[in-house]
Amino acid sequence: MTGFLTLLRREIVRFLKDAIDTIAPPAVAIVLFLLVFGVGLGPRLGEVHGMPYIQFMTPGLLLLAIARNAFLNPAYSLFQSRWFGNIADFLVSPLSLEQIALAIILGGVARGIFVGALVVGAAWVLTGLVVAHPLWTLAYALAAATAFAGLGCLVGLWTRGWEGVGAIDTFVLDPLVMLGGVFYSLEMVRGIPIIEPLTALNPFTYITEGFRAVVLGGAPSHALIGFGLTMGLGVIFVGASLVLFRVGYHLKA
Amino acid sequence: MRAPAIVLEHLRKIYGKLIAVDDLSLEIQKGEFFGLLGPNGAGKTTTINAIVGLVKPTSGRILVNGLDAARDYRQVHRWVGIAFQELILDGSFLNVREILVYQAGYFGIPPRRAGPQADRLLRKFGLWEKRSAKVQELSGGQKRRLVLAKALVHDPEILILDEPTAGADVEMRLQLWEMLQELHSQGKTILLTTHYLEEAERLCERVGILYRGRLALLGAPEQLARQHGQAHLEEIFLELIRSERS
Repeated sequence: MTGFLTLLRREIVRFLKDAIDTIAPPAVAIVLFLLVFGVGLGPRLGEVHGMPYIQFMTPGLLLLAIARNAFLNPAYSLFQSRWFGNIADFLVSPLSLEQIALAIILGGVARGIFVGALVVGAAWVLTGLVVAHPLWTLAYALAAATAFAGLGCLVGLWTRGWEGVGAIDTFVLDPLVMLGGVFYSLEMVRGIPIIEPLTALNPFTYITEGFRAVVLGGAPSHALIGFGLTMGLGVIFVGASLVLFRVGYHLKA
Repeated sequence: MRAPAIVLEHLRKIYGKLIAVDDLSLEIQKGEFFGLLGPNGAGKTTTINAIVGLVKPTSGRILVNGLDAARDYRQVHRWVGIAFQELILDGSFLNVREILVYQAGYFGIPPRRAGPQADRLLRKFGLWEKRSAKVQELSGGQKRRLVLAKALVHDPEILILDEPTAGADVEMRLQLWEMLQELHSQGKTILLTTHYLEEAERLCERVGILYRGRLALLGAPEQLARQHGQAHLEEIFLELIRSERS
């Protein structure tokens, strides 16, 4: 267990020591969203589903912060270790290949939750956010962070260049989020060509709606569907990461 | 007769059309200082990377202290320390001491023991003054010593060194030779790859010369010299290359 905990500590220390590059940019971006849409434009945007727009949007922004940070940490850490060759430090140790994968994924979960906590604090100060179901919210956040950290681990294994991680972030994660109910609900885009089907087919939409329900105290059915979907994606991404580590995909010649 | 520490049985590694290691069978005894020699591309690094699990053999088997290196890799890794030829160091955010403490941790050594162990190695390898420095601040020689210290941080009984003195100046090479001789005298099994035939003659009890992935010669340096009527390994080596090319 010492080996596993050491590697997990390395993954956490990596993003904490490099906070200006890792934690600050996404946290600042989310705080700017809150400032612009909450403190700034908020009063002029009216209500959405019976609540101020900023209140509607905040859970989505929180989920976005958790998901993106959980994704980026393993993706960059793993690829960086492969690129510079120091992945060998772990591979020649008595750590099992699965332990290495799990420690890298949990490092991503830690970063997602850490940045999520910062965003909750900022949202409380700027918008007066009060989480309706703290334990459910924490469980949901952990599940989402695990799923996206698993995806990040897969990308960190798969990519052959630095641009690979950025490409997935820009061409997969960004569209998923922008068309995934962070800024609007599925109900709000009914009948709008292209946007409605893209939103309806996007799993992030249901994950966001579920998360909004546990943060703000909405319909339990939304929460269950979203939570189940998040758990399912987590099992797929983490499971695939473990399998690829076990076979040494892009790790062993 | 000592028991074998490392056994290679018909090891073969093929990359596409390139046969990097070709039916290599070899035994290295416990406590032996063994040199794996050969020109660039002979298969030396592929062979040692296969022993520590970084290369998957196409066929054949590797045993370390009697255990299958592929199946029982976790136990095998506890026994083996490796210093790579490339100065690969996890130095983007860790300082010199932290690199050793973390490496010890990966091998299951708890922090209360990892710190003193790192400090002991830092003093032994003349890196104590640099303990808080980043890797980028080290000279080539200091990096080379840190790589060796890292390989020893879990006190392995088998030490694998891939070109440990590559790029080192004469003084540093002599220092490293003394360190390796001291480690050998403590009973460690040492597998060394090198281009420097003088190094092999001076340090190794036996050498194996690889050529195009195959084991071309095997024996004690003086025995090989006698058999081939040459004074030094270098002459035997040149004779071998000439005969293979003709």
